[in-house]
Amino acid sequence: MNTAAHPVAPEEVMAFLDGELMSAEAQAVSIHLDQCAECAGLAAQFRSTSHSLSDWTVPPVSSSLFESVEELSAKAAASLELAKPGRTVQLSFWNWRMWAVGAGGMATALLILVAHFVTRSNVLNHRESVLSMAQMSAPRERDQLMNSLSPAPSSSTVEEKNQMAMSAGALISPARAQAGKSFGVAHAGGGGGAPAEALAAPGSMIARTVSLSIAVKDFAAARASLDSILLRHRGYAAQLSATTQENAPRTLQASLRIPAPELAAALAELKALGRVESETQSGDEVTQQHTDLAARIQNSRETEERMRAILEQRTGKIEDVLQVEEEIARVRGEIESMEAEQQALEHRVDFATVDLQLAEEYKAALNPPSASVSNRIHNAFVAGLRSAAETLLGLVLFVEESGPVLLIWLAILGVPVFFSWRRYRRMKGRL
Amino acid sequence: MEDAFPAFVLHSEAIRPLMNEMPRYPEADSSEAAESDEELMAAFSHGAAEAFSTLFLRYKQPLFGFFRRRVADPAQAEELTQETFIAVLRAAARYQQTALFRTWLYAIGFKILRAHRRKAAFRATFLGEKPAGFEPATQSTLEAQVLMRNAVWKLDPLDREVLLLREFEQLSYAEIAELLSLPLNTVRSRLFRARLALHSLLAAPTPHSSAHESAQFKERL
Repeated sequence: MNTAAHPVAPEEVMAFLDGELMSAEAQAVSIHLDQCAECAGLAAQFRSTSHSLSDWTVPPVSSSLFESVEELSAKAAASLELAKPGRTVQLSFWNWRMWAVGAGGMATALLILVAHFVTRSNVLNHRESVLSMAQMSAPRERDQLMNSLSPAPSSSTVEEKNQMAMSAGALISPARAQAGKSFGVAHAGGGGGAPAEALAAPGSMIARTVSLSIAVKDFAAARASLDSILLRHRGYAAQLSATTQENAPRTLQASLRIPAPELAAALAELKALGRVESETQSGDEVTQQHTDLAARIQNSRETEERMRAILEQRTGKIEDVLQVEEEIARVRGEIESMEAEQQALEHRVDFATVDLQLAEEYKAALNPPSASVSNRIHNAFVAGLRSAAETLLGLVLFVEESGPVLLIWLAILGVPVFFSWRRYRRMKGRL
Repeated sequence: MEDAFPAFVLHSEAIRPLMNEMPRYPEADSSEAAESDEELMAAFSHGAAEAFSTLFLRYKQPLFGFFRRRVADPAQAEELTQETFIAVLRAAARYQQTALFRTWLYAIGFKILRAHRRKAAFRATFLGEKPAGFEPATQSTLEAQVLMRNAVWKLDPLDREVLLLREFEQLSYAEIAELLSLPLNTVRSRLFRARLALHSLLAAPTPHSSAHESAQFKERL
């Protein structure tokens, strides 16, 4: 628009006609309209358009509307019930949807709870049935079954397992009552059970394993006592590791080997070191394995003897002699291997394994020695950066791993949603 | 009976009253008309049923016109009118005389209209319901009226809404801006555009002529 020729914008002409201008502006536009034929034409055009709109009339509203709203207003005015905001009954779409969603959520939560309890009771029933089976089966199978019951050492399950191990120990004990000394019969676990030697079965060999977790008040004293217990009972530590961290309780993990007859006494002394947090005992019967091994060794020895006799009594070609010697060497190797295995087996039976965990009952120092403020700030900053980098990396990895799948789902679900949404928008625009 | 006349018909000549001046309606009683809408609403919120009756008499036709021009189905328009009055009854206790009753009423009506459009669009999109169309020209609906309606419906939806609110509901630019959540200048420019486009459509109702004439007109200015 040429503002030099028309100091008044066309929109201002329209606003003037609508009575939307301040008096000074309205006066200016009015004067301009009197002088400018073009703008006067524009104003006439606006008036004409507006006048044309008057053709679009609407028929009168029906009388039924009048009656119903009148009745409603009378009721509302009489009681003011409808006028009170707190007491209005709003049956809108969102209200029932909200209730539906709430009820659905509650039902889902209830379903999950019921499913959880049903699953839990099934697991308990399964355990009971397994235990009853274990009571009827052989000691070795019982141990295997019990081990399969609770792989996760939570406090409750460890306790249950311990109780079951105790009962199993009691069950196998009668079998070991008359155990022969020839096999170096294993020892029953401590913890108040009947004397194991008196209850062992004849010829049974059991390798005992005990796991013990103890919290001690004085870690150094407990550590010294542990050494003296091992010395007193002629045991040894197959593996031992101790950790000491700043502002954290000291811990010790050890795998001890205690002579089987000494196990009960040693366990009693170990338990006296502090508060027992968990205890698990198990026994692995290796009698059959040992008997098989002994028979195989015997057979191999006899074979060796016979071959030696052949070598001494018969004469033949040098090749045959060499072949017999090779065979003797092979059998000898087998015998030595089996003897080593037998010794290891007997050692497992003779020496019970105690997996011990000692943890200090940690008491935080009032003024723990700590790093300087600058170091702490630096460390926190580095940790923050590392954490941010890890998060970023995790995000990138997630996108890399799940991106293609997400894209597929986006294509599957997104395209119909997009077209439906577009159609909905168009429809709304048309209505 | 007729609903509110277009703004320029009401204020047709040079010395114009302010556009927020109360429109006059044939059914309104002269004694009742002396009382303002706001006073009547205040009286109703204090329990005077006849006050609401007066308001209802004043606004039932304009409000019906508001819906009738925007909704194809006349029965639906009546239903929405009734729904709006029921909403006014329910919200009477919350009414505060900070805004004109007329603006408040149309704001409620506009909300109800939008909800109706949303639901109708949803039903049409996802449930396959056919949206109702405007009736063709008959004896009851004059041809000129149908032409006007068709021309208005060819406008951009937002431009059309601004135009209708200005011409028939006689809301001020500021009230339209508040109702549609638009800046005041946008309302003015959209109204200007809508009027030019409507003029073009009425002059030569072909799809391309309106834009062409509008451009020509702007160039001339």
